[in-house]
Amino acid sequence: MTKETFLHDKHVQLGARMVDFAGWHMPVQYTSIIEEHKTVRENVGLFDVSHMGEVFVSGKDSLEFLNKIVPQDISKLHYEKAVYCQLTNKKGGLIDDLIIYKTGLTEYLIICNASRIDEDVNWMVRNAKDFDVKIDNRSHNYSLLAIQGPKAAELMKKMGINTEQNSFSIRPGTAAGIKLLVSRTGYTGEDGFELLVENEFSEELFDKILEEGAAFGIKPIGLGARDTLRLEAALHLYGNDLDENTTPVEAGLSWSIPKEKATDYNGKEVITSQLKNDVEKQLVGLVMQDKNIARHGYDVYFNGDKIGVITSGGISPVLNANIALAYVKNIEEICTGAIVQVMIREKLHDAKIVKRPFVQKHNIVKI
Amino acid sequence: MSITEKILCSKTHEYILENSDNTFTIGLTDYAVEQLGDIVFLELPEVGVEFKKNETFATVESVKAASEIYMPVSGKITEVNDAVVESPETLNEDSYEAGWLVKIEKTGDESELNDLMEYEDYKEELE
Repeated sequence: MTKETFLHDKHVQLGARMVDFAGWHMPVQYTSIIEEHKTVRENVGLFDVSHMGEVFVSGKDSLEFLNKIVPQDISKLHYEKAVYCQLTNKKGGLIDDLIIYKTGLTEYLIICNASRIDEDVNWMVRNAKDFDVKIDNRSHNYSLLAIQGPKAAELMKKMGINTEQNSFSIRPGTAAGIKLLVSRTGYTGEDGFELLVENEFSEELFDKILEEGAAFGIKPIGLGARDTLRLEAALHLYGNDLDENTTPVEAGLSWSIPKEKATDYNGKEVITSQLKNDVEKQLVGLVMQDKNIARHGYDVYFNGDKIGVITSGGISPVLNANIALAYVKNIEEICTGAIVQVMIREKLHDAKIVKRPFVQKHNIVKI
Repeated sequence: MSITEKILCSKTHEYILENSDNTFTIGLTDYAVEQLGDIVFLELPEVGVEFKKNETFATVESVKAASEIYMPVSGKITEVNDAVVESPETLNEDSYEAGWLVKIEKTGDESELNDLMEYEDYKEELE
């Protein structure tokens, strides 16, 4: 059965086109994906991302437990701070990518992908046997609203939220009399906030944000623009760019992994070896050299040989070009600046390997 | 007489319109372009190429996905709308006049029109 967020009827009422995404009936667009994309890049947009998972981890051994299940060093994570992590299997493959927040001395909040909640929780429970830890999946209790764009901070401030908050941090807050957890994170490459709210207050909060945001040009944004925004920022989408047969090192996520971590974690052997000795496949960014659009699943060629596959592809409204993420063989000639080819409807089209992200991430607005 | 009173539509959302010079114009219905959302790419065939009824003759891409466009009848391409290839967003604004795709000479017989619908019936079928 398809699930609905608490804001489902609101989306329909706003005229959204609804689609099935990861088992959820979600808005893909309200007016136009390109228009919504530009709204987030230029002003501010409001997303309902309540389908995402919220898992609370607590207990005496919560730190040791988390250190066992992700390559990151959670002992370095301070109170009210957040860190981008990966849940890895024993072979170093990605079960999910997620953000871990430290919300108490031995309390953590994990926000994970909607499509992976069950896998993640099952995996955590299986790994929790030797630890004094409580894993509490409360995804069904919470709604999550993302406010993203250069005017997000101004809007949040107007709504009474303390905006003196750094990127990747979380704090309790109140807006319109509603208690929230305010996180300065997002999935767009813009400054932004994610507000965790109990379901029963989500509609009131959503309405209030649209009302207060009108002065800043706010619009509700669907999953269509969420996808084009994250692609410009070269942020991975689980299921497209990440899966259980891909390691964080192959996925270009080495920057997020400490080279030396004292404690053992799932997949440490593979990941440590890959960090030292390199990998066979690598994630690269591509810009098409003509008007053709590379899509998920299209093959990539170099000198007539198949060298990889597109995992995400589409348009970049900001660059007015077509961009893609691809996994290709990790050999010397296939580097930034090299021209490869993408097979589109039985014809090869040139694409240039470029540095990621495609569009520079914007710093947080300090007000 | 409005244009939608003169066209026939296929189940796969193409329309065909008879012109005064014996050629036929083929395009996408307003319903099709609305469903696609922002159209960002269009690939049309070369003049002179022949296609059978129901064969793929073009590709349209929205932000989200690529879709094939099928011949509502068999025919030979006589003219291609280069302007719409250059500015595919034209299709979202008007898929009947500025946003037509190709003109053809029909090569099949009249029975090929049998499964095409009047615009009113096509709209009804969608509901």
